[in-house]
Amino acid sequence: MPSETPWPSDWLRAALPLCVLAVVAEEETYGYAIAQQLREAGLGPVKGGTLYPLLNRMEQDGLLRSSWREGAAGPGRKFFAATEAGRAELAGRTAAWRLFTEQATALLPSLEEAR
Amino acid sequence: MSSDAGTYRGDLILALRMRDIPGDRIGEIVAEVESHVADSGEDPREAFGPPQEYAASVSGRARTRWSRADVLVAVGSLVGGWSLATGLLGLMGGDPVGPLPTWALLGVAVVVLAPTLGHLRRSASPARDPRTGQDLAPLPRWVPWAMGASLALPVVLAAVVIAAAS
Repeated sequence: MPSETPWPSDWLRAALPLCVLAVVAEEETYGYAIAQQLREAGLGPVKGGTLYPLLNRMEQDGLLRSSWREGAAGPGRKFFAATEAGRAELAGRTAAWRLFTEQATALLPSLEEAR
Repeated sequence: MSSDAGTYRGDLILALRMRDIPGDRIGEIVAEVESHVADSGEDPREAFGPPQEYAASVSGRARTRWSRADVLVAVGSLVGGWSLATGLLGLMGGDPVGPLPTWALLGVAVVVLAPTLGHLRRSASPARDPRTGQDLAPLPRWVPWAMGASLALPVVLAAVVIAAAS
């Protein structure tokens, strides 16, 4: 699947919070790097205008924390890390998401039937 | 910083101010945008959308209408400013202007203006860049002078008129 596929925006809106949480829980990182990882994972380009309001909301909800760091060259970057609550949320939601998507997928016709 | 990025910064700060977002929060939001486009090389308008729309989505707030505090500030400025001006004129002329004694006018001016100015100072916290700690939208140096002059001018003129008449 090419990574530039524009997925329906409501699919992306549903999947993005959990995916962002997974990326940040993997390693403390900054906004642009998160967007690149999402793109490489095949979720398509995620605009800054979508990503930062989400990161801010998750920080407000206590799932992430952030700090500004000086870059080696150029301006500083805002790094995000998952909090304990964020990791707990990721663990709980991941199980629920897998069950949800499996059940939804089971309802759909197989790829051969759909042709 | 290109002029496009500068315009975007100004427009975004204004749009956030219109939504009553505190200064340090505005600084965070602006720094996020600038740090992101510095990495990606995108135009901020391309990556974040028009400043008005981005301000709405990132703050989750509509443009604020006149709050009760805004009305109080307007009334306080009017009453306090009028009391101060007529009080000063009475002081200079030696005779009270209007029915109230000069000391009462000056008293009203202090009682009304002190909390009004205090509120304005608190609510107008500067938008600081979290990366550098600098004010993102500093007032030009002439602004305090222009404001001071526009306040002082009527009093000075009145003093001249009174001095000439007596």
